[in-house]
Amino acid sequence: MNHKLKRAAVAAAVLFCSPCLPALSAEAPARTELAWTLHYDPKTLDPAKVDDQASEQIRFLTAGVLIRLNRSNLSYEPALAESWNVSTDGKLITLRLRPGLRFSDGSPLTSADVVATFRRVLSPATAAPVAEEFLDPGKVIVDAPDTATVRLHLPNRVVGIASVLDEIAIEPANRITSGAVTSGPFYVAEYKHGEYIRLHRNPFYWKRGNAGAALPYADDLRLDFLENTETEELRFLRGEYALLDHVPTEGFSTLARRMPGVTHDLGPSLNTEQMWFNQSDRAPLPAYEKVWFRDTTFRQAVSLALHRADIARIAYDGHATPANGFISPANTTWYNKALRPVAEDAQSALALLAAKGYRKQGNQLLDPAGHPVKFSILTNSGNRSRERMASIIQQDLAVIGMQVNVVTLDFPALIERLMHTQAYEAAILGLSNVQPDPSAMMNVWLSSSPNHQWNPEEKSPATPWEAEIDKQMRAQALASDTKVRKAAVDRVQSIVSEQLPFIYLVYPNTLCAVSPQLDGVQLSVLQPDVVSSIETMHWKGGRH
Amino acid sequence: MRFSTLIFIGLLGALAAALLLGSSHTYAAQDREHVSDSGSRSYLAGTDELGRDRAVRTAAALLLGLTGACVASALASSLSLLLGSVAALSASWLGRLLLYCGDLFLTLPWIFLLMLVRSALPLTLPPVQSGVVTFLLLAALGAPSFLRLTHERVSRLDKQDWRLHAHAMGLKKSQSGSQLLSHLWPIFWIQFLLYVPACIIAEANLGTLGLGIAEPVPSWGNMVTGLQAAALTSTSHLVYLPVVTLVLVLVALELTIFGAKQ
Amino acid sequence: MRILLRLIRVLSLVILSVIGTSLLMYMAPGYFTDAREMDAAHAVSERRDLQALEQQQHSSTALLRSELMQWAHGDLGTSRQYGSSVTSLVRERVAQSTHLLVLGSLLGWSLALFFAVLFSLRSSPFADATVAITTALLLALPIGVLATVCLLTNTAGPVSVLACFIAARDLKLLHRLLSTAWLAPYVLHARAQGSPVFTILRVHLWTAHKREFLSVAVMSFTLALSALVPVEVIFDVPGLGHLAWSAAMNRDLPVLVAVTGLLSVCIGVASSFLPLQRSIEVG
Repeated sequence: MNHKLKRAAVAAAVLFCSPCLPALSAEAPARTELAWTLHYDPKTLDPAKVDDQASEQIRFLTAGVLIRLNRSNLSYEPALAESWNVSTDGKLITLRLRPGLRFSDGSPLTSADVVATFRRVLSPATAAPVAEEFLDPGKVIVDAPDTATVRLHLPNRVVGIASVLDEIAIEPANRITSGAVTSGPFYVAEYKHGEYIRLHRNPFYWKRGNAGAALPYADDLRLDFLENTETEELRFLRGEYALLDHVPTEGFSTLARRMPGVTHDLGPSLNTEQMWFNQSDRAPLPAYEKVWFRDTTFRQAVSLALHRADIARIAYDGHATPANGFISPANTTWYNKALRPVAEDAQSALALLAAKGYRKQGNQLLDPAGHPVKFSILTNSGNRSRERMASIIQQDLAVIGMQVNVVTLDFPALIERLMHTQAYEAAILGLSNVQPDPSAMMNVWLSSSPNHQWNPEEKSPATPWEAEIDKQMRAQALASDTKVRKAAVDRVQSIVSEQLPFIYLVYPNTLCAVSPQLDGVQLSVLQPDVVSSIETMHWKGGRH
Repeated sequence: MRFSTLIFIGLLGALAAALLLGSSHTYAAQDREHVSDSGSRSYLAGTDELGRDRAVRTAAALLLGLTGACVASALASSLSLLLGSVAALSASWLGRLLLYCGDLFLTLPWIFLLMLVRSALPLTLPPVQSGVVTFLLLAALGAPSFLRLTHERVSRLDKQDWRLHAHAMGLKKSQSGSQLLSHLWPIFWIQFLLYVPACIIAEANLGTLGLGIAEPVPSWGNMVTGLQAAALTSTSHLVYLPVVTLVLVLVALELTIFGAKQ
Repeated sequence: MRILLRLIRVLSLVILSVIGTSLLMYMAPGYFTDAREMDAAHAVSERRDLQALEQQQHSSTALLRSELMQWAHGDLGTSRQYGSSVTSLVRERVAQSTHLLVLGSLLGWSLALFFAVLFSLRSSPFADATVAITTALLLALPIGVLATVCLLTNTAGPVSVLACFIAARDLKLLHRLLSTAWLAPYVLHARAQGSPVFTILRVHLWTAHKREFLSVAVMSFTLALSALVPVEVIFDVPGLGHLAWSAAMNRDLPVLVAVTGLLSVCIGVASSFLPLQRSIEVG
């Protein structure tokens, strides 16, 4: 009996340990392939219909565009179009294609393909999100006087037309291939839902490297869909992934400790983290709360009471920069250098509030009508940095007598409150800025926009300063002179820092990790970050 | 054994209460100059990632979490016992219907019900009240998990000789219920013990939906959830203190039952 | 006839769970929202899509009618999140989850049974305390933490974590069951006569406690189903649990309904097992 039990014990131990074995033996990557992760499946592979970040990255890797934004120096460079010309009124754009262009299947790329692509993108049937950037897409006329020239006739000037062209992938005429045939560096070879997408090198890509070698250098790309950043980091450490973009703060420190030299903190990104109060008329809040939130002094006092340096140091482990406006210092062209860092002074905050009739009774702040100042701050669950930030703010505001309840909700429930029911008091969220051009933020700043978070879809600007922001944002969108645009954007930044519709907290730093075996990497804070230099990236000792 | 383990749990509770009352730090106070500290004279068990006293937070979590989870677990087990007994002792169609409902209940994604409850509650609901609502919901949602097991046990007991004797002696089913109950204690305890940690973890997961005990009030749930990130960044083994106390309490509970059995 | 009744029971369970899931998700906050609404660049197009969806599913009755009609025609619909057929999405993931579930359950069940027999056979305060402490230790470790620690330390895969989770819970129940079972007079008699342990287990204990064993097995199966979600999400196993979690978080009704339907088939079949066994015996 005992022998049988012993044998069974050994068998059980072997059976128990056997599933561990695959976990212990990491699979070595094929060196001709570069692999990294996307956190979720792309919503679409059709480049015309891209409206999420995962699809944007696939489009970046596969799309042949007429003009490409250089993510390192923020300049626009010729791509499929070897030159372009914008008329003085901004309504005619003439583009000259490079000679001998081919799609990834070897078929020639001519102006007919470009015209067909634009017509499809502009057609209401396609519902391409990028079409909205033409302001009046139905009235745009595209023609091709010859096989190498394309003309765009616009009803109105489109500021930042180059950035719009950077988003339009030229596809074969009358064939929707969803990335299977492209004019960009790679094409889609295989897609398994929830697992991975594999891209092959386009052998007919037009671009050449420094020594005249054909780009891209990497033969294959594999993008695994992984939500868990810890798994991602572990696989990177095992050498299964070539790079990590958007490393979370906690993971960054661990990576830096475990594998020194692979991590890169590129400084402030274009993104912002901000807090705001609900000022909407539609908000189902007591009238006295609306009075607080609409009071500039109240918002200024809150801003003064916050310790942004602590937020950057504690919530982001030092990998964030205290913020003072909606344009990050990383956006060198548009950042208003005249803005001063926000002071951190609870006593000044209390003095400001006292001047408005607020008073402290014990540890509780009371408004002039005697209501205790209590409110909730809403944020999304699962983001550790944001949750910590909310806790820090909770304590900072307790110092000036404001009682704050932090509530974390899952994203759909949060969006319902922020965008539909307006049933919230204050919120903390971030804003991802893909484009450095402030025109891309029009939807946030125009008072009529649904993304004008603190008071969405205003019929007319609720305050004079909102009217002024509307005016300046429209002025910068219509002006052709960069200096005029810059002056308008600077003015908006000044108004925002004074009125504080958004109380900016930090600019999270761009954190990435790159395998030491990888060459040809150029780091960039603009999305898609480290992937921006995919054309030149290759394993050391590999083909280039 | 029973008394010594009960005394141990009592001592642990008293120690937690003494720590809470005697410490100069509150569970919510952030000392931002001493973030993620290892143990020191000022902070016996170090501080968490926001510079809060870990010992004080663990003590508060012990008192709050254990009380909430025990109450929810006791309610869920009692409900399961009641429903299981009704299913086993009542008409067969009713028993089958109850088991059917139990199975149906288990297939439904109740996460959405909890979200609905959250949306119905005011955002300014204090953390402790939010915790009470959570534990009550957990008690209601936990009962069907054990329904089938209870039903099987009661059905079996119902066919035993002493029940037949009792009925032959003229006792009605309802009158022999108290004897039946005494035979159901073991299954009640198993369910109770199984559901206590389940409640703690469920509370932590619900915290991500805005339910549960919200920050800054500590609970075992949110501390264990936070451990996943803390274990990655901290070099101090003191981050495991909440888990250690949780395990100590569970082992003590188990040994109490073992003693009672003896 | 009994088998037919069982089938009807399972089918009705699936239909009711589909209806329940649809209604719960429809009423949950954030059903008519999408994360892309927050993105200034894509907000307008996203709002347009959402308005179309809102018009199409203007009431819960309209939603249920269209869902059930689709199901009646063998179409599980199109995923809101992935934009592809739910049937293909589910088919791709079933194999992964089944593999994990079967291996994890078998391993967990075997471990629990083995140690329960071992410790109950040689009942002593030490053996009882060992079971108590081991199970308490394992129960105290949430599956999410256990999975994360195993992942970070590279010590175990998803199957082992799932097995551990099941074994901890089953060991406690089986140990308690067997501790009393070994003391039954007829078992003591058989032991005194020198019958081998495996014979006693097979002939006496299994026959007398078959229903309890099966009940624990059914319970551990449903437990394993509930553990699928955290295990698959943490280990990034592209299975049904992972799909269900992402569907719930993204309010992807067609996918969640399909997965719930599938899970209710599993639970329905599992819970029907006991009565079916009885009917076969009687028959």
